[in-house]
Parts: sequence; structure tokens; C-alpha cells
Amino acid sequence: MDILIQEQKKKALRIPMTRSQLGKKKWRVNYKPYLFLFPAVFLLIWWMYKPLLGTLRYSLYEWSMVPGTQAGFVGFNNFVKLFRNKDLGIALVNTGIYILGMLPFSIIIPIFLATVTQSLKDGAKKVYRAFFFIPMIMAPVAVSTIFQWLFHPSNGLLNHVLVNMGVFENNVSFFTTQGLARGVIILISGWKMIGFATLMFSSALSGIDKQYYEAAALDGAGRFKSFFHITLTMLSPTIMMMLMMSVLFSGQWSFAYIDVLTQGGPFGTSTNIYYLMYKFAFGDMNVGVCAAAAVLFMIVFGILALLLQSASKRVAFYDN
Amino acid sequence: MKKIGLNAVKHILLLILSIIAVFPLYWMIISSFKDEAEIFNYSFLPKKLQFTNYVYALQQMPIIKMLWNSFINSTIQMILQIVTAVMVAYALMRWEFKGKALIYGILTLTWLIPFQAIMIPNYVQINEWGLNGSLAAIILPNMVSAFACICMYQSFQSFPKALIEAALIDGSGEITILTRVVLPTMKASIASLGIMLFITSWNDYMWPMLVVKNLESAPIQIGLKSFVSSDVNLWGSLMAATTISCIPILVIYLLLQRNIVDSFMKWGIK
Repeated sequence: MDILIQEQKKKALRIPMTRSQLGKKKWRVNYKPYLFLFPAVFLLIWWMYKPLLGTLRYSLYEWSMVPGTQAGFVGFNNFVKLFRNKDLGIALVNTGIYILGMLPFSIIIPIFLATVTQSLKDGAKKVYRAFFFIPMIMAPVAVSTIFQWLFHPSNGLLNHVLVNMGVFENNVSFFTTQGLARGVIILISGWKMIGFATLMFSSALSGIDKQYYEAAALDGAGRFKSFFHITLTMLSPTIMMMLMMSVLFSGQWSFAYIDVLTQGGPFGTSTNIYYLMYKFAFGDMNVGVCAAAAVLFMIVFGILALLLQSASKRVAFYDN
Repeated sequence: MKKIGLNAVKHILLLILSIIAVFPLYWMIISSFKDEAEIFNYSFLPKKLQFTNYVYALQQMPIIKMLWNSFINSTIQMILQIVTAVMVAYALMRWEFKGKALIYGILTLTWLIPFQAIMIPNYVQINEWGLNGSLAAIILPNMVSAFACICMYQSFQSFPKALIEAALIDGSGEITILTRVVLPTMKASIASLGIMLFITSWNDYMWPMLVVKNLESAPIQIGLKSFVSSDVNLWGSLMAATTISCIPILVIYLLLQRNIVDSFMKWGIK
């Protein structure tokens, strides 16, 4: 009996077996993990990686998705068309502006708030947590309609308050004014993120070992110095994470805001590369150019993401 | 004395942020109860609760049906994503095998893929299968969530392997181990992840918008969008419709708030 149990244990834990045991089992590969992994991996490949190749292929063809038509090979023509497109430049610039515009809301202000309120009692913090989190769970479409109402040119609360306070003389039409449409989208994205980011930094701050500060104080470091050298360093993983989230989410969420509120306007000033791609495919019915844009984007984004990840590995300091 | 002053300042700062966070929600709800006249006078509390906006909204759109569509869609997506995630997490946690790093790479690299890079081929695929306009069209590409797989794997890593060994010695098969030993212990993580997945699919906009063809089969977010585009000046009713679309999520949040916030933050930290 003992030997049987031992053999079972060894098999289960994959401890190297004795020669006599190996004799028969050498050819048998453990198929079980692959069985468990199969559904998920297959589905991911089918719905995420295979379409990527499809898009790559479409970038070399011309097609309008009209049923019955065939895609015609055009080589790099789509890329040429893409670079000649008047909206591409501003879409790329806006994409960058949206990401940079998020940063005060996802990193700078939250760190400030989290640091300043660090010493508050946990009970109070829990109450605030409940409020801060609400923007995160609200649907982008719902958020868009509410802000559309709040920012309404003639009847919105914001205009009413601003005009009454004397900031503006007349009502401002936020979504149809060239500079402002973009700004409002940034505000909305920032609003969604700021509470969550503050929570993240607050929780990361509580995890910093107090001994660092005590040691620094003994060395005579002032408040600012210890903030920059200790706090920011220990927060660096969270900062990198919020940076990556800002990049990701400013693209995804802003899509809903743009589609509901401005449709990329006025005159393309609030569009970003994500919305532009959507417009190429389902607005202009030009699959080829959309796919070309997607390929271009993936290359640029891929490089940026890899840079971010390697920077993250070097900059982020883990306390362990 | 100085300390009390400083403390008050801290509370005020957080109070301001709380108000900023919640005000749009508040404005939405009270606007939904204001009638035609009142909605243009910026009052902070409606004079009395009017339900006319809600009646109008419910008449204009098949809101109940759309809520139901969203519910079915989100529930099925959540279940499928959890099941596939559990299987992946179990395999990754339980065994060492060839290709483990590759599988992990396949999972993590998906975050590099923007929706727009895959939307056209998937759209074409759904059309080829004739599913355009059905709930299946929304669900099929979302049967697996790489994010859920990674989260689940991280949760499973804290599972004590000794329990598995014990079960093996008892002669249990893999399915039994998974369902009788591992799952009951990980119930909390699975529930938290499930809630997050439900909320995410409830709020999803981009893909459903592509494949939904009529209001009857639309999830509530798409229905809301079409309401926005149509009735430009009926803000009260629009706010009513928006409120209705948020109710299920807000109810879930009220009931499970601590759980949800905890799990979002745990994920963030990892």
C-alpha cells in the first residue's frame, strides 16, 4: 500500500521517477493542462489574434463591406490614402493630447489628494471611497448624456453658473466650439478616473514602510525632500500602472464620449485615432484605409507599450 | 487647534472630490423628476416628484425589453468568462507544462490589441454566420476575457497546493478536485471578479453598437444612445431613461459596494 501511495504522489507532483517506473510512462505527455486551456485559448485566438491577421490583410485590399462585393488588392495604396487624409494629423495629435490631458486627473491630482489626506481615519476614508468609486462604474453612454445636459449651450447648469458668476458674458456652446470640445472630453475622462486613482494612491501610500521616513528624518531630510525621494519612489509602481491605464482607457472610454457628444467634430477637432478608424470603416465604408490605420496604430502603440514596460521595469521600485 | 484646522481642510478636500464624483449622478436623478417647466430653472431639488418623464421614456422605447437584453447579455458573458477563466487559472496553477509561458504571453498581449484593430474581421465573421442583430452576435466575441483569466490565475496562486495533493491521494479526478476542493475556497474571488465582469459587459458600448440592428434586440446602452440622437430637447425624459439604465448597476453597487471597491483595488495593486 505504501508503495502505491508513494507512486501516486510522485506522479501527481511530477517528481522524477525511478528507472523502472519511467520505462512505461516516458511517452505519455500530460495532456490535462492543454485540455483545460483549450476553450479559452482557442476563443482568444479566434476572436482576437485571427482578426488581427485579417485586418493586416485588409490593409492591402480595397473593400466597402457592401454585401456581394469582393475585396480588390491594392497593395500599399491604402497607406498612401491614409497619409494623405486630412484628418489623420489632428487625430494623432488629439490622441496624444487626450492621454496627456488625462495625466493630471489620473496621477498628479490623485497623488496630491492621497498624500494630503493620508492621515485621516480609516472609517472616514471608507465613506469617501464609496463616493469616489461611483464614476468608475457608470456606463460611458450614461455619463455622456448627463454631461451633455450639464454642458448644454442654452439650458445647461454649467453655462448658467458661469454666466451668473460673470466668467462668461454669453452662453458657451461647449461641444461645437473648436477648442472646447476636446477639453470637455478630457474633463469627462478625467472625472471618471480621478476618484479611482486617488483610491489607488491612497492605498499604495498606506503600504509604505514608515521606517523610511523615520530614517530620513533622522538624516535631517525635510518634508519636500522625503516626499520626492521616498514617497514618489515607493509609489512608482502605482504611477506606472496609472500611466498604462490612462493610455488604455483614454482611448476606449473617449470613444463613447466622442460618438455620443461630438462625433469627432467640430471639424474633426475632437476626434482621435480610435474614432477615426471607426469612421473610416463604418462612416466612409472604407475598410482598407481603416485597416491601414489600424496597422499603423498597432506598430506605434506596440513600440510605445514596449518602451513603457521596459521603463516600468527600470523605474518602478518594489519594496521587497 | 492647528491640528483640528488641518484635519478640517483634509475633510473639505475629500468632500469636494466626493461632490464632484457624485454630482452628475445626482443631477441626472433630480432632472428626471422635473417636469417641462421646472427643468429649465436649475433648481437643486425638484418641487415634487413627477413621473411623467419616466412614463414618456417607457412609451418611446422598449426600455424594459432592452434592460432584459442587457441583463441576459451580461449574465451569459459573466458566466462564460468566469468558466473559461477558472479553467485557465486551474491549468496554470496546477501543472508545470510546456508552453506555459506562451499561454501567459497570449493572455497578457491581448491588452495591446485595440478594439478597432479587430472589429472589422469580427463584424464580417458575425455577418457571414448570419447572426447580425442577435444577442449571440454580442456574446460570441466576448466569451473569453483575457483580463478575467489573468485575474483568476493571480487569485488561484494563493491556493494551498497541499489540498490538491490530499485530494489526489484520495483518488479524485481533476474535475472533482476543481469543483469540490478549489472552487469552494476561491468563492470570494470568483464572486468579485464576476461582479466586475457583469458591470463591464453592462456598460459595454463599442461592439454592441456595431452588431445591433433594432431597438427590440438592443441592450440598454445602445437604446439610450438612440434616444439621445432622436429626442433632442426632452431632457427630462432623457435623464429618466439614463437613470433607468443605471439602476441595476447602482443597486448592485449599493448592495455590494465594499466587495466591488475592494476587488477593483486588489486588481489594481497587482
